[in-house]
Amino acid sequence: MSTSLSRKLSPAELERFAAELDAVRAKAVADLGEKDARYIRRIVAAVRWTGFGGRALIYLGILFPWAWLAGALMLGLSKILDNMELGHNVIHGQYDFLGDPALNGKTFEWDIVGTSDNWRQTHNYMHHTYTNIKGVDDDVGYGVLRLFPEQRWKPHYLLQPFYAVIFALLFQWGVAIQELRLGQLFNGRKSWATFREEFAPVGRKMRSQVFKDYVVFPLLAGPFFLTVAAGNLLANGIRNVWTFSIIFCGHFTRDAEIFPKSVLKDETRGHWYYRQIRGSSNLTGGRLMNLLSGNLSHQIEHHLYPDIPAWRYAGMAVEVREICQRYGVHYNTGSFWSQAWQVTWRILRHAFPSRVTGSPVAVREPAAA
Amino acid sequence: MSATAWLQPLVDAVLPPDVHDFWAGRINPAWSRTRVLARVAARRTISCDAVALELVPNRNHRGLLPGQHLNVTVEIGGIRHVRSYSPSLLAGDPRRLEITVKRVEGGLVSNWLCDGAAIGDVVELGGAYGDMTTDAVSGPLVCLAAGSGITPFLAMARAQALVGMPRVLTLLYWAGRRDELCHIDELQALAARFPNFCLRVVLTRDSADADQGERLQAAHLAGLAEAGATVLACGPAGFVATARELAAATGAGFLGEAFSLPEADAVSGAPVRVTLARSRRELVVPAGQTLLTALEAQGLKPASGCRMGICNTCACGKLEGTSEDARTGERQHEPSLALRICISSARSDLVLDL
Repeated sequence: MSTSLSRKLSPAELERFAAELDAVRAKAVADLGEKDARYIRRIVAAVRWTGFGGRALIYLGILFPWAWLAGALMLGLSKILDNMELGHNVIHGQYDFLGDPALNGKTFEWDIVGTSDNWRQTHNYMHHTYTNIKGVDDDVGYGVLRLFPEQRWKPHYLLQPFYAVIFALLFQWGVAIQELRLGQLFNGRKSWATFREEFAPVGRKMRSQVFKDYVVFPLLAGPFFLTVAAGNLLANGIRNVWTFSIIFCGHFTRDAEIFPKSVLKDETRGHWYYRQIRGSSNLTGGRLMNLLSGNLSHQIEHHLYPDIPAWRYAGMAVEVREICQRYGVHYNTGSFWSQAWQVTWRILRHAFPSRVTGSPVAVREPAAA
Repeated sequence: MSATAWLQPLVDAVLPPDVHDFWAGRINPAWSRTRVLARVAARRTISCDAVALELVPNRNHRGLLPGQHLNVTVEIGGIRHVRSYSPSLLAGDPRRLEITVKRVEGGLVSNWLCDGAAIGDVVELGGAYGDMTTDAVSGPLVCLAAGSGITPFLAMARAQALVGMPRVLTLLYWAGRRDELCHIDELQALAARFPNFCLRVVLTRDSADADQGERLQAAHLAGLAEAGATVLACGPAGFVATARELAAATGAGFLGEAFSLPEADAVSGAPVRVTLARSRRELVVPAGQTLLTALEAQGLKPASGCRMGICNTCACGKLEGTSEDARTGERQHEPSLALRICISSARSDLVLDL
C-alpha cells in the first residue's frame, strides 16, 4: 500500500518544518545535565540489582520451582533493561556529555552475543541515516522477511511466519550476525578469508556470553547445572522476543512507509525529518511501557533525535505531535497489541505475493527548476 | 605470564570491570578494579584564595615523583571535569597526596573544590606525567614559581627535606599580595632549618610590603646560574616562556611546566594546529572548517558515517583545545570523550585522540 496518510510538503514547508523540530531539540539540549546523570545511573543500578536478584532466584529455583520462574523473569528484565534503556541509548552517544568512560557511546559493551561495534555500524549509522530506504536499510526484514509489497516476492517467503518465530526466539543471534552479511558470503561476493576476519570479534563475544550464561553460572550450581542453564536460556528468550517485538512495532505497522533510494539525492534536513516520521511508529502505554521498551515506545522521537537521552522523548512528543498535526504529517501511534497485530498481519500477508496498490505517490517534490 | 593471567579474560566475561566496580563501590566508593580513585581525607585553607586537600588514593595508584602532575577528575552536577594538579606527599607517605587548589575566577572546578569538596568525596586520578623532577638533573636547582606554580616545588622541597636536603635548592616565589602566598609558613620553616634551601618571595602588587619587587627579569637570575645549576619554572605560560629565555641567556639548563589559560578563539580560516595523539601526527587546518572535511583534505580517512552529527561513528576524544559545534555555534573548551568531527570545527590548537 503506498497511499500515504501524510500530506506532501513543499520545500519551503519542509524548511520551516525542520526549523520547528530543531527548536524542540535545542530546548532539550539546553536542559541536559544532572537529571540525565541521575536517571541513567539509576537504570544501571536497576540492571545490576535485577540481574543479581534474577540469578539468585534461579539458584533458589533448585529447591522451589516458583523461584526458578521468578528468577528467569527477573533476569530477563535485567537483560531487557541492559539491552534497551541502557545499552541501545548509551551506544547512541546520548550520555557522552557526562564524560563518564563507563557510559561512553564508543566503548560501551552490552550483554548480548552481538558486539557493540557491529551495532554501531548497522544501527547507529546505516539504519538511522537510511531509515526505511528499500535496499539500503537492512532492518527492513533483516534479509529474512518480506514486509512491504515493494520488496520482490520469492517462493521461500511462504515460510516466513515460521522464520519469524525462530528469528524472534533467537533475535540476539540475528542482531549479532547482521553486519557479517552472510548473503554476500554465500553468493560469492565476499571471500572466506574476509569473513573469518570479520567474524573474529563476533566469535569472541559469542563465546564469552555463552561461557557466562551456559557454563560458569550453571557450573556454580554443581549437579543442578541444567536448572540454572535452563533459567538463563528462558531469560535470554524473554529478552529476544520482547526486543524483536518492540523493534518490529517501530517500523512495520500498517501505515509505516518505505522509500526508494532516489529520495536520498540531495535530501534536505527537513525531508530527512519527514522521512523519519513516516517510517516510524509509536506505542502507547505510559511510563512502564516507556521504560521496558527503552523509550522506543517513542520510536518517532527517537528517530528525530537519536542522540538525546531517551527518557526525554515522552516530554518532547507533546510538541512533536502538535507540529505534525499542523503540517498534516501523520503521527503513527497505537497500543502495543494493535501495533503488534498490524506487524503480524504484514508478516502473514506478504508471505504471499502482493503488489503495490494505487498509483505510486511521489514522496518528494521535483527539484525546483 | 603469571599463574592466573589466563584466568583474567574468563573473569572479565562473567564480571566485567564496570560490574565489579558497581558492586565494590556499594561497599566502598573508592574501590575499583582498574581505576585510581581517591578519597578526600582532609581540607585546610592555606591562603586567601587557596585550599589544600588531602587525597588518599586506592591501591591502583602507581605513585608519582615530586614535580610531576596528574589529572584529577571530579563529578559536578553529574558531569565529569578534569584538571591537572601537582601533588606533594604528606609526611613522605605515598598514600597521602596533598593538592593545592587555587580559586580561578569563574572557574568551575577550582571553585567546587574550594567550596564543595567534602571529606569522604571520591575523585578519580590519572597517571603521573611530566619531566620536571629532581631526578631529571643533577647539581643545584633554581626554582621559579608563579602563583599556583609553587606546588611542584613544594613537593620537591618536602621530599628533599625528608632526606636532609642534600641538593642546593633556591626557590623564588612570585605572587600578587602576601595573603595569596600558599604554604609560606612551611616553606620559611624549611628555609630556616636547611642552609641548602634558600627562599625568596617577590610580591608584585603589594607596594607596602617589604618583599615587593618586580616581575621575573634577568636580574633575578644573576649569579644563580653558575656552578652548573638548572633552572626549573612553573606558572602561567607567559611566565614560563620568560623563564626559558632568561635561562637560555645565562646558558643554564632549563625544565618548565606551563599551565596555559584559554587563548582567544581563532577566527575562521586562521591556521590552527591539530595534533593526532594516537597516530602521532600534527597537521595545520583552517579554523572554522569541520574537522572531518579538514582531515580528509589532508589525505586522512577518519571513520565517518552519516556526516550530519547523528550516528556517532566519527566521534573521537578531544584531549585539549576549543572546538565549535558547526550547527549551533556553541564553543566547547573542555576535553571531551566523544567529539563528533563531522559537525565540529577547531577554534584553537587541538589534540584529538585519533
